[in-house]
Amino acid sequence: MRKPEFIYVTYIETTPEKLWQALTSSEFSKRYWFNTELKTDWKVGSPFALVMDGTTTDVGEVLEFDRPRRLSYTFHHVLSEAARKERPTKVVFVLEPHGKIVKLTLTHEDFEAGSALLNGISKGWPAILSGLKSLLETGTALEIPPAALAIEGLQ
Amino acid sequence: MSKPEFVYVIYIASTPEKVFKALTDEKTSEQYWVGNRVVSDWKIGAPFALKLKREEKDVTGKVLEFDPPRRLAYSFRAAHAGMEAEPPSRVTFELEPQKDQVKLTIVHDQFEPGSKAFESVSRGWPLVLSSLKSYLETGKVLHAPWYETASA
Repeated sequence: MRKPEFIYVTYIETTPEKLWQALTSSEFSKRYWFNTELKTDWKVGSPFALVMDGTTTDVGEVLEFDRPRRLSYTFHHVLSEAARKERPTKVVFVLEPHGKIVKLTLTHEDFEAGSALLNGISKGWPAILSGLKSLLETGTALEIPPAALAIEGLQ
Repeated sequence: MSKPEFVYVIYIASTPEKVFKALTDEKTSEQYWVGNRVVSDWKIGAPFALKLKREEKDVTGKVLEFDPPRRLAYSFRAAHAGMEAEPPSRVTFELEPQKDQVKLTIVHDQFEPGSKAFESVSRGWPLVLSSLKSYLETGKVLHAPWYETASA
């Protein structure tokens, strides 16, 4: 059986420092992450929350903050009953520079077998990271209507 | 044991027509496909080739679907780096307009368990499609210095 995890690799013409900032600052995340703020002080062990349009959608804890190489936090979706019952999962971003490009690898793992959340995040991440790439390369984020992702429970 | 398949979604600020053209036009593909180029007249059943810049033998296949600007599919058989013995796999592109973007989905499947080609394309597609996105959105190509050492 396949391991329940989601992996996404993208290549962005930017610097690790700029990409790191975009991944950790609300000023940026609001532009490419469906108007979501990242609420945390980024100290290891500190709490972490994603707040979309004023509503907390996910909570977790900062696991790693190794600028500008590795960023990791736990991730617990709190908007639906089904997702709340699942154990927290783990998000890891790895940033590898190659000349003018940074290879960004996202691994979202530790899902329970039969997870209700895995399907939703598999649709969300490509949109978020495509938007991030466009923002860093062109200065403009993509405007993908959340409803277009067809994720249950996400308007 | 289940058959491996590679699925990847990317959103590109462009039109389905432009993305479809980029996927099927030889000159354009050479720009973003890390020096490789797609060659076909795109009639159903016609031969398809991905001419490789850095290998002796090209990827070959047959056109399975050609429905511009929505769907494109071809069979895919690599003949280099020990992959000659593997049967052809299948590449399917789906293009969906989403507001001012195109949602491009690739499914590369029909691999045998343990396929070397699967490992290879799983590393290659994110680079090629990231490069396609940059090319269509900025007019510039991603410079991939590591590709020369084939360690991606």
